[in-house]
Amino acid sequence: MNGSRAVLAALVASFVAVNVFLLATGRLSVSWGDAGTIAAAGLSLALFSFLYQDNPLFRLAEHVFVGVAAAYIFGQYWYQVLYGELLTRLATLNEPSAAGASGWWLLCPTALGLLMLTRLSPRAAWLSRIAFAFFVGLGAGFTIPRYVSSFLLAQLESTLQPITWDWHGLNLLLILVGVLSVLVYFFFSLEHRGAVGGVSRIGVYFLMVSFGASFGYTVMARLSLLIGRITFLLRDWLHVM
Amino acid sequence: MERLLRLDRRVIFACVFLGVVVPLLVEFHLPIGATPPVQAVYDALERQVEAKQRPLVLVCFSYGASTEPEMQPMARALLRHLFGRNARVLAMCLWPEAPGMAQEALQTTAAEFGRVYGRDYVFLGYKPGASSVILNMGQSFADTFPADASGTRVDSLEVTRSIRNLGSVDLVIDLAAGDSVEYWWIPYGQEKFGFPLVAGCTAVMAPDLYPFLQSGQLTGVVGGLAGAAEYESLVGSPGAATAGMRAQSVTHVIIVLFVLGGNAGYLLTRRRHGMRRDREGAGER
Repeated sequence: MNGSRAVLAALVASFVAVNVFLLATGRLSVSWGDAGTIAAAGLSLALFSFLYQDNPLFRLAEHVFVGVAAAYIFGQYWYQVLYGELLTRLATLNEPSAAGASGWWLLCPTALGLLMLTRLSPRAAWLSRIAFAFFVGLGAGFTIPRYVSSFLLAQLESTLQPITWDWHGLNLLLILVGVLSVLVYFFFSLEHRGAVGGVSRIGVYFLMVSFGASFGYTVMARLSLLIGRITFLLRDWLHVM
Repeated sequence: MERLLRLDRRVIFACVFLGVVVPLLVEFHLPIGATPPVQAVYDALERQVEAKQRPLVLVCFSYGASTEPEMQPMARALLRHLFGRNARVLAMCLWPEAPGMAQEALQTTAAEFGRVYGRDYVFLGYKPGASSVILNMGQSFADTFPADASGTRVDSLEVTRSIRNLGSVDLVIDLAAGDSVEYWWIPYGQEKFGFPLVAGCTAVMAPDLYPFLQSGQLTGVVGGLAGAAEYESLVGSPGAATAGMRAQSVTHVIIVLFVLGGNAGYLLTRRRHGMRRDREGAGER
């Protein structure tokens, strides 16, 4: 038995021993709820074992997670979308909706959805283009004006405010300098030399600060997830919190 | 010093692990003050309560189990504030994974304040369609949600009976772990219908939302576990987020020390190698 297998065996043996102790001392009971807690603790530890090195326990837990997540999402889509939104409504087409509208309009998206499935047959695949054309057109029509308004005009308006001689004005100036210098940095039609090079270098500093802030927040987010899992292990499984 | 640069990464993992476990087991107090974006969320609700006795607040749950440690304490703290101020809560989900967590948070906090389903809050469940759902709600609420999550018609529930569309809502809170604030609620909801929108989001998302805060498209942002802890302190109900912040703070110190140590080691080693190269260059000459 090599070293890593010994570590793995010790991990499994410790997990079993801890659970036997918890059951014997009454901290965990023989019930479905506590069986779920033990399974969740075991899978968490199996996933954490990757930090030591890749191993069969980690891969088992990873595959269980992928399978459970896929089945859960499928169940949600089946009951909430296909069954809840489509089949039950198709079964009551003649009844008016809560707002008084007829349900017959539902046949249109249903037909478009079915047309998409024609891609499964090479001979009928061209029919799917009708559905795709509809969705692309609808998507573009909805998205372009809303995104221009929300992400371009609204942001421009807040960036180009009158600069005042106070802290708020300094913030506005910083934002303005940041936006302009980063735009110059991403302008590749001019060689980044001289004045253009200087401004684009300022843009690089702004980008670096932005990446640093994003990285700091990402570290915080990942640690929060670790804290949540360890809290579960200490409180719900080991009962030491 | 070179030994520091060749440090086994498992040593770092062990230090981070201890940095999380020890503060969770040993209680100590760290001051938590609210930052302006979090205070703005609190103030937005207080303003609504002052303007209307029982404002209607739409809480949208757009997160899944993978971000539960960050988002669930935030959801509980916000709901405690809402139920504590007797606001009417309308809860919905735009993520398929969210209903279980939404129900848990709603039932727990509503029970704490003795709030009654149908009179004080309603849970509409998950609705597929993302931005289409928001656009539909802007047209007709009852047509988008004919019934609540358990199948009760919305026109028979006190909270939802008088809602016509999104214009009837006084405040929208989106608890998000993905694109829902930035790409669904702002362009298709807030911009179009003009209601005040606040966001509770994971820490990863927070930097992306600050431009919308500056432009006034968002009224406030509660970002990550730190934001949740700040909100818990504002509502005077320290919970999981406050406890987590002890571990978060200690671990941040450990990580900063490792970053500083690593950079110092790198600079010193580079300097030493540079000096050695200079000596060897001089010898060759």
